Amino acid sequence: MGSGNDSILDMYLYETNTLLEQLDGILLAAEQADTFSQDSVNEIFRIMHTIKGSSAMMEFPSLMTVAHRIEDLFFIIREKTIDVVPNELRPELFDMLFQAVDFFRGEIEKIEQSEPLSDSIDSIVDKINSLIDKIQGNPAKDEDPAGAPAQATPAAEAPAALDPAYPFGILVFFDEGCGMENLRAFMVLNDVREVVPDLISYPENVDMDPSTAQRIVDEGYHLWFKTAQMRDSALAAAQNAGSVRSCQPVDAKADEPAPPAPQPAPAAAFAEEPAAPPAAAAPAAPAAAPKAATASAPQFKESLISVSLSKLDQLMAVVSEIVITESMVTASPDLKGLRLDNFNKSARELRKLTDDLQDVSMSLRMVPVSSTFQKMNRIVRDMSKKLGKRARLTLVGENTEVDKTIVDGISDPIMHIVRNSMDHGLEETEAERVAAGKDPVGEIILSARHTGSEVIIEIQDDGKGADCQAVLNKAIRQGLADPDQEYSQKEILNFMMMPGFSTNTAVTEFSGRGVGLDVVKKNVGEVGGTVSLFSEWGKGMKTTLKIPLTMAIMDGMEVSVGESIFTIPINNIRSSVKVTEADVIHDPARGEMVRLLDNFYPIIRARDIFQMDEGCDNIEDGILMWLEAGERSYCLFVDELLGEQQIVVKPLPSYVNSFNIKHYGINGCSILGDGSISIILDVANLYNAAQNSF
Amino acid sequence: MSEENVLFATEADVAAAAAKDAAAEAQTDKYLICISDQLLYGIDAEQVVEIITNHTITHLPRLPHYIRGIINLRGQLIPIIDMRMRMGGPAQGDRCIMVVNVENNMVGILVDGVERMADIPRGSILPMPTQNTEKLVSGMCSLADGKTMLILDCSLLLHG
Repeated sequence: MGSGNDSILDMYLYETNTLLEQLDGILLAAEQADTFSQDSVNEIFRIMHTIKGSSAMMEFPSLMTVAHRIEDLFFIIREKTIDVVPNELRPELFDMLFQAVDFFRGEIEKIEQSEPLSDSIDSIVDKINSLIDKIQGNPAKDEDPAGAPAQATPAAEAPAALDPAYPFGILVFFDEGCGMENLRAFMVLNDVREVVPDLISYPENVDMDPSTAQRIVDEGYHLWFKTAQMRDSALAAAQNAGSVRSCQPVDAKADEPAPPAPQPAPAAAFAEEPAAPPAAAAPAAPAAAPKAATASAPQFKESLISVSLSKLDQLMAVVSEIVITESMVTASPDLKGLRLDNFNKSARELRKLTDDLQDVSMSLRMVPVSSTFQKMNRIVRDMSKKLGKRARLTLVGENTEVDKTIVDGISDPIMHIVRNSMDHGLEETEAERVAAGKDPVGEIILSARHTGSEVIIEIQDDGKGADCQAVLNKAIRQGLADPDQEYSQKEILNFMMMPGFSTNTAVTEFSGRGVGLDVVKKNVGEVGGTVSLFSEWGKGMKTTLKIPLTMAIMDGMEVSVGESIFTIPINNIRSSVKVTEADVIHDPARGEMVRLLDNFYPIIRARDIFQMDEGCDNIEDGILMWLEAGERSYCLFVDELLGEQQIVVKPLPSYVNSFNIKHYGINGCSILGDGSISIILDVANLYNAAQNSF
Repeated sequence: MSEENVLFATEADVAAAAAKDAAAEAQTDKYLICISDQLLYGIDAEQVVEIITNHTITHLPRLPHYIRGIINLRGQLIPIIDMRMRMGGPAQGDRCIMVVNVENNMVGILVDGVERMADIPRGSILPMPTQNTEKLVSGMCSLADGKTMLILDCSLLLHG
């Protein structure tokens, strides 16, 4: 549909975002350990290389430049291991990397919103450059990250043959960044030995001593032979060995007046790959090295593909059609009274398969919450630096899977709450924590778990908790609470979720704009979830988000009123009760109530609220559904209980929606097994509608 | 030379004829004619998706009375507007539903029956002299058999 360019851009954005997320994860883990493992160095190198390549392709030069410099930096680190970065430089390295990630994120966001990219990348590039210089211990250093060949030249100048008996030498250099140079040298040695057994090599013991690798990178690998013929045949063998960038003949000084550096003329005559000016070889080498890195990496990734959500929705729709059609076929009235053993057997098979199909297609939309959780790591890190509070984030159950749309919906709320915990929850100073007998390092626990049809996400901190009295006072000041009324702790905490409420008097960079928890409540509400707060003064605060597993599918109870079938979400049902006329208590306004478990609950007759012509009138003929939504609890009078069913929620057609029937507690529809339609009730709105109509 | 001339003339003739045809075609529109309460209504055939009969309509509460409810058309929920009741008439039993697509909304219109398709020249459509038809009719025209057809504007039906 969209132009080809758009889809390429989409792919680019998707890919880059994924890579940045991955990078963030690696960086956080590395910062914790205060070092990079060789794997993560390779990974970062690969990520930067990919970003560089794709940015160049999409013509985003600023992104490309920054990625390129970081790639250079990691090229050095990869070559010389992380030890090349002295401990005191590491915080600077990490900060720079996080800054770079933020830079990429910012630019990507701009691309997404088709805003112009910023050109001012000098500061970040300068930072990277200065870091590169510092690492190389070479304050005034030109661009070339691979100092190796440059340093190697003087070394090659004076390779006095170790043994005068072996005056004819070969100097071998390996591909930049190929790694394990010592072992590669050993392989070259083996290859050469097959042709010319009589030789000596330097450095020695390359197979046993990994430290020689660095020397080989810097100075090259030397092989010495007795005669020039021997050397020439060896040269051919050495050239064919793997990863060899160049190999040049060198002669011991005494024999000929060899040129000071084994540069152009004589070398070109022998080596088919010219020993070229090192500067020219350098750019080629990094290009070759990442190729090797990217080639090995996709092995893990190829099992994943990305699919647009709309296609999954389409699949879902088709699958639910199949399920319905299947039951229409197998329960066809035409088959009544026939003995169809084979048909029935096949029909059972079919049912099993369609069930499987439905499960699989539903699971496609499920993604683990881990990516959302991982983002919080970053927030905690940044805030703990900024605020000077030490804190750690513990993740529990980050593999819990939730519908994709829901994951997107809860990301912001969780971020808000985590920020709140960092900013207001944790004590201002560590001394305060120690005085309260707590670990000086604050802890925030982010956990997710399944309970049947819901996912429960808890954000818990061990800070000072909410001061109920302060909250109440503030609520009174804001006019949210009535000063003369008594409130329970739960009610007081609920004030914090009201619009315009913020306990922090000062607005900070992170939170305290007074748009905190009410936005959380709204966002969570949009995906059908609820928020509850729990706090103990001095011990910390716990925010619980209860979110349905998916918005598209739910467990419902089918009830009938006259000809119509309604579905009540199972989470809202407390129980169903049969009552007699005598149990019903009337109030002066002709309202009806019933007493259940020592409490009175209003009765709402579905027939009346929906103004239907059919349905039971006598309370003894029908059944009461005891329902609960949030704080509301009431009984809905219906004709009959039909049974529990898992249903696919379909939104109402927009034409019908324009008549505002949502306000009467009609939430959507679902198609039942026989093709008929049931109406899904919204328990909370139904109550409000009933209140308004009385 | 003369042969060429003839050939040229023929081609020009054909082209002219084709252009004429196209012009004539552009000026007629296809309408699906249906009956509701003894009146003929024409619906722009472009908008008609399909015609169905014998569908169970599920009543939705709390809607205007002329919305009879929704049907399940192969998994799509489609609201049904009763033409008779929309025009202020009484309800009647099972009839047929024309499913139309108006501004990407699928809506079913319940009518008494569907007559036929007709090509109506654009010029023959006249404005309505009166405005008492619930503002759903955008024009009227006479058919070849002498009957009169009212042009039903589906988007007015949706938003009116």
